[in-house]
Parts: sequence; C-alpha cells; structure tokens
Amino acid sequence: MADSTFLDSTELVLNMGPQHPSTHGVLRVILKLDGERVRGTECVIGYLHRGVEKIAENRTYQMFAPYVDRMDYVASVSNGLGYCLAIEKLLNVEAPPRAQVARVILTELNRIASHLIWLGTHALDIGAITPLFYVFREREEILNIYENYCGARLTTHAFRIGGLQYELYDGFEEQVKAFCDMFLPKVDEYEELLTGNRIWIERLKGVGILNGEECKQYGVTGPMLRAAGVKWDLRKAQPYSGYEQYDFEIPTCENGDTFDRYIVRMQEMRQSVRIIRQAVEKIPAGPIMGKVPKVIKPPVGEAYVSIEAPKGELGYFVASDGTTQPYRVRVRPPSFINLQSLDRMCRGALIADVVAIIGTIDIVLGEVDR
Amino acid sequence: MRKLLRKIFLVDLMQGLRVTFRNQSPKCIVTEQYPQERPKVAERYRGAPRLNTNPDNGETLCISCNLCAVACPEHLIVVTSVRNEQTKRKDLTTFTYDLSRCMFCGLCEDACPVDALELTQDFELASYTREGAIWDRQMLEDGPKPARYKF
Amino acid sequence: MPEEQKPEVKPAAPAGAPAAPKPAAVMAVAPWESELTRLLKDQFPDQIAEFSTYLGQNFLIAKVEAVVPILEFLKLEADFDYLVDVTAMDYPKRAERFDLIYILYSFARNERVRVKTVVAEGFKPATAVGVHLTANWLEREVFDMFGIEFAGHPDMKRILLPEEWEGYPLRKDYPIVKQDERWVKENLGIESGQ
Repeated sequence: MADSTFLDSTELVLNMGPQHPSTHGVLRVILKLDGERVRGTECVIGYLHRGVEKIAENRTYQMFAPYVDRMDYVASVSNGLGYCLAIEKLLNVEAPPRAQVARVILTELNRIASHLIWLGTHALDIGAITPLFYVFREREEILNIYENYCGARLTTHAFRIGGLQYELYDGFEEQVKAFCDMFLPKVDEYEELLTGNRIWIERLKGVGILNGEECKQYGVTGPMLRAAGVKWDLRKAQPYSGYEQYDFEIPTCENGDTFDRYIVRMQEMRQSVRIIRQAVEKIPAGPIMGKVPKVIKPPVGEAYVSIEAPKGELGYFVASDGTTQPYRVRVRPPSFINLQSLDRMCRGALIADVVAIIGTIDIVLGEVDR
Repeated sequence: MRKLLRKIFLVDLMQGLRVTFRNQSPKCIVTEQYPQERPKVAERYRGAPRLNTNPDNGETLCISCNLCAVACPEHLIVVTSVRNEQTKRKDLTTFTYDLSRCMFCGLCEDACPVDALELTQDFELASYTREGAIWDRQMLEDGPKPARYKF
Repeated sequence: MPEEQKPEVKPAAPAGAPAAPKPAAVMAVAPWESELTRLLKDQFPDQIAEFSTYLGQNFLIAKVEAVVPILEFLKLEADFDYLVDVTAMDYPKRAERFDLIYILYSFARNERVRVKTVVAEGFKPATAVGVHLTANWLEREVFDMFGIEFAGHPDMKRILLPEEWEGYPLRKDYPIVKQDERWVKENLGIESGQ
C-alpha cells in the first residue's frame, strides 16, 4: 500500500446490518471501506444462536434428532444423516442395506435441493431474478417426495438411529425417476440463462479468489475447496452409508473464484442425479431398522463422524457417559468455518463483490450460529 | 469476427431472454391459488394432532400409557387419567397438548402403541390467542375447523 | 429388537449399573501403536500421556503446554494440515475440569487424529492460530461457551453471545433455563424470557 497523503480518503466504516436482503439470514458484516474498495471486514454473528449443543445435553438421543434438522434448515436431511451416523458409530451398529440405499437417495436429493436454493439466492443477489422462481419450482418436486415419505417438507426428521422409521411408500421409485428425468434439462436451462451471460461472467470471474493452500489453512471444505482445485470429497475419501458402491465424479475447477464455485455446484447437481439414478435401480429388499435397543445408552466413549453435507464437512462429535442423554454433542458447522474466510476473500474487493462473495460461500445462519 | 457480432448483438443475453419467454406459457404456471384451491398434502403429513376414537362406540382409543408424553422432546403433552375399578384399566380424563411449542416431529405419533394419537393433514392451525393454541381433549378429538371462505 | 448390544471393543467397565456401587465407567480404549506414535514419542518424550484408540478413531492425550508444538509438528512433519475442529468438554468434578480437543485431518494420509489435553479453570492455553488459521473463530467459540481464554489470540472476545454477557453456557453448572437477566433487562427491556 502506498503511504497515505493528505489527498487520500479516510476509512469509512459501514454496517451491513443483520437485517439485509443479501446476507442470507441475520448476519452482520462491518465493512471498512476506502471509497468503494473494502479494506477489511468483521463478521458479527450469533443472532440466531439457540443453544442447540446445550439442548442436546438435556434430551435423550432419539429426542434430539428433530433439533438437529433445524440447524441447516435448507438441507435438513444431511444433518439428520450425520447425527444418526454418529450415534450408530457409538453404538457400533450399522443400518441395513435397504436403509442405506434409501438414505443415499434422500441425501442426494437434499444436496440438489440445497444447491438449488444456493443458486436462486445467489443469482438474486447478483441481480438475476429469474432463476429464483425456476429453482423453487424444481425444489417443489423434491419437497413433494419428502412430504410423501416422511410427512414434512423442510424439517424432515427423516432418519432414525439405526435406520429408517417409515417404509418407502408405493411409487417412491417412480416419483424419484420422474424427478431425475425432469431435472437434467432444467439444469441445462439454468446454465443457458447464466453461464454464457456476459453480465454473470463479469460479476463472478476473478471475485473472491481463495486458492487451495489458503482453503486448507482456513479449514474450508465443500464446493469451495473443490473449486480451488483440491479434488477431495468425503464421499470418496471416507465413504459412509454405502457410497463406495456408486460411480460418480468429483467436479473441480482451477482458479477458486466465484465463477468456479458456480460451475462446481452445477456439476455437483448433475453428479447427484447420476448417483440417485444408480441407487434407485438397486434398492434391496429387507429390514429398514437395525438392531438398536429401545432405550439408547451407548457405552462411555466419544466419536467424531463427519459427512459431506452440501455446504462442506459437517461433523458430529458425540461424547457419551453411559446414560440416556449425551454428555456433549458438538456440531462442526461447515458454514461457520467457511465464513471465516470472508475477510480474506474480501480484501480489495468492491462492495458489490462482497455480496457476491457472501452468496458464494453458501451460508445458512442456522448452522453458523446453531 | 463472430465473437464481435455476438457481443454487439447481445446474443448471450438474448439466449437467456428466450428461456424466460419460453416459460411464460400458461402451461408452465405452477402457482397455487390458495385459498381457492387448497393443496393436497401427503398421507403421512405431520400436521395437527388428533386423538382417535373407536368408530363403533365413540370411545377414545387412548389407554393413558403416557408414552407420548415421555417421548415428546418439548414435554408439552400432559395426560391425566383415573383408574377404573371394574376393568382394572386407566380411563383418560384430560389430555393437554400445547400446540404453540410443538415442532411436529412425529415422535409422539411413533410412540403411541394403539395409534390413538395421530398427526393429521390439517395445517391451518392459527388462533387469535396464545391460549387458543393449547388444545384440550375435546379440541383434539374434533380437530381444528378453519374458516372456509366463499369466493 | 430390544436386546442390549455388546460393544465390540475391548473389555472394560460397561455403562453404569444401578445395583452395586461400581467405579465410574470409563471409555474402553485400546492402545494405539503406529509409525506416527513412534515419531511423536521421539519428538515429545514425556509430554504425551497416552496414545489410544476407540472405535477405530485414534487420539492422544498430551500436556497442555505441548499442544501447540505438537500441532505444529503434526502439520509440518506428518502432513496433518487441516484443523477440523477445536472443542471442549466440561467435567466439573475433576480438578482440571476442561477437556480441550483438537481434531486434525491429513489429506495425504486420509486419516484423522485427535489431540486432547486437560485444562484447569483459569488457565490460559496457548492459541493455535499461528499454526492453523481456522482456530481463530473456533477458539473464540470455546471461550464463549466455556470460558477458556487462549493466550496470544488476536481477537479474544465472544462470538455467538453478546459481548457483555456474563456466564459461560456450556459449563455443566449453567442450568439450561438460565439467562443473563441483567443483560436481557438492560438491552431488551423485558423481564425474563421463560
């Protein structure tokens, strides 16, 4: 930076307050500006803190499962999957194959749903209003599948510890297959709207660059890490719930800017459809619930289990003291840790880029604050 | 040269506009005109709770086992009963369900051994007061009756 | 279906039984031996109390002064370049009541390791921000919830709760229905939320 002279402007502190249409929830960002350029940011979070980890210490294991959905409320099925996998690890049981395949189908549908909301809101922040409506139209189909399966659309509570509660309904496979067939042309439609569009490219290319090394230092995971060139996905590195049986690719890009993250997420949606198609072909018959006692009292111990949620690595560190209530449940929230890198990405950007960068990190405040 | 022409004549923006205009046809309208058309929710929808009664004699199916109250994460179900000396079973007296704190998780419905407590497809649960959201046994058996407007 | 499952791991005290007074149940761990533990034992001969594994997840318990050097050694020599999480647990009946846990992951080796240490109340462990940049907000959250201050942290203040809040919620002696009533009255103007 050049030495400041009396002709330079002074630093302006601007508050992008908790109530803001583009901060994806109640997020407060204090911007230190030099004209239009950002010199530093500071995030103030905690407006949605509900004390989920404290609640966990006062509920039994099965009772806590509905609370877990409410953290990342956009993609609630993954939260439930992570929690059930963590408790199953403590109990040393595994869900039966039919339950695992059904879990994979619902979780991949969930990934598509989460990326759809990301696309809609991100495009809306940049200024492209149309994708928002189309995205919710596709999301309706996914939410209808969830509603037919477990009875709720958003906070699904779909999985139970040890397997599934509800048997797959008649017509599940047909509805899922119809969704997959309907959905791929729609992804092409979104790309037609956005990818070649010069406004989109100019707003996104070169904005918010975070290369692979910095991603690892900041602990950033998920599509942000893959857009920076690190080909790492927990579904391939440490597969859970039967993911090793499916054949899919991990999309990566090189630059690590906002446009690459957009490309990576669009490709992930296509890969999710690929996984769902493979899984729907081979739903095995059998029980849907493993051998889990009615009163869950895991032996004293602790375990950390993490899954590849749509936003990054979602981990659950559960410690048990032998009673029916967990001693400590710690949720490793991907949005919280990805949001730390906002300061690094916003150095030298314009204010309009800050909005694009917050959108590209894909945060959900329920998960950031828990 | 082609690129210059694409740039001048805004070809990429036109492509996007074409998508938008394609979706203007009336066949693509997905908006539901609520409250004229009420959405059909799924069979397993977790909506308003209901205490089922035996269709033959109108008695309640609830056996006052209190399992639903134990299973509820928010502890909002209160079941009281008296012991019936003739049949040596418990008879239900009051059943209080606090709908304002309910998160519709379905754990009470899963816990009920006789399928007396069930979460139905009713989702219109508004009331004018906070106390109106605390349902007693009568309200639970009848179900909510939202106003139906005529258009 | 309601049968008691048997933990597959090693023989040790099972979960607490009601009848006879048993000693407090402990985690049924098994010792962990590998090339990594030998490297660590050579580098930090008497600062690591035990190397154990439970359910296939390896962890080591170290003295609190050695934690940041261990993290740095693991990052530079053993490729554990990704700090997954920093968290703590509260055991109020112990003398050193907090258990501070660092979870690390190595991309090259594709394995995870936990570094645990015990911290007494009032003690300020060194910050790991110099080794892993992720630790910035994670340590702030540990401070916010448990009250463990980290010496040398660039920005040690509360992150999820308001700055003037008193009390550390995730400690076991903070009941779940408690709020900082003084803060609520001053800032929100209402008498109690419960």
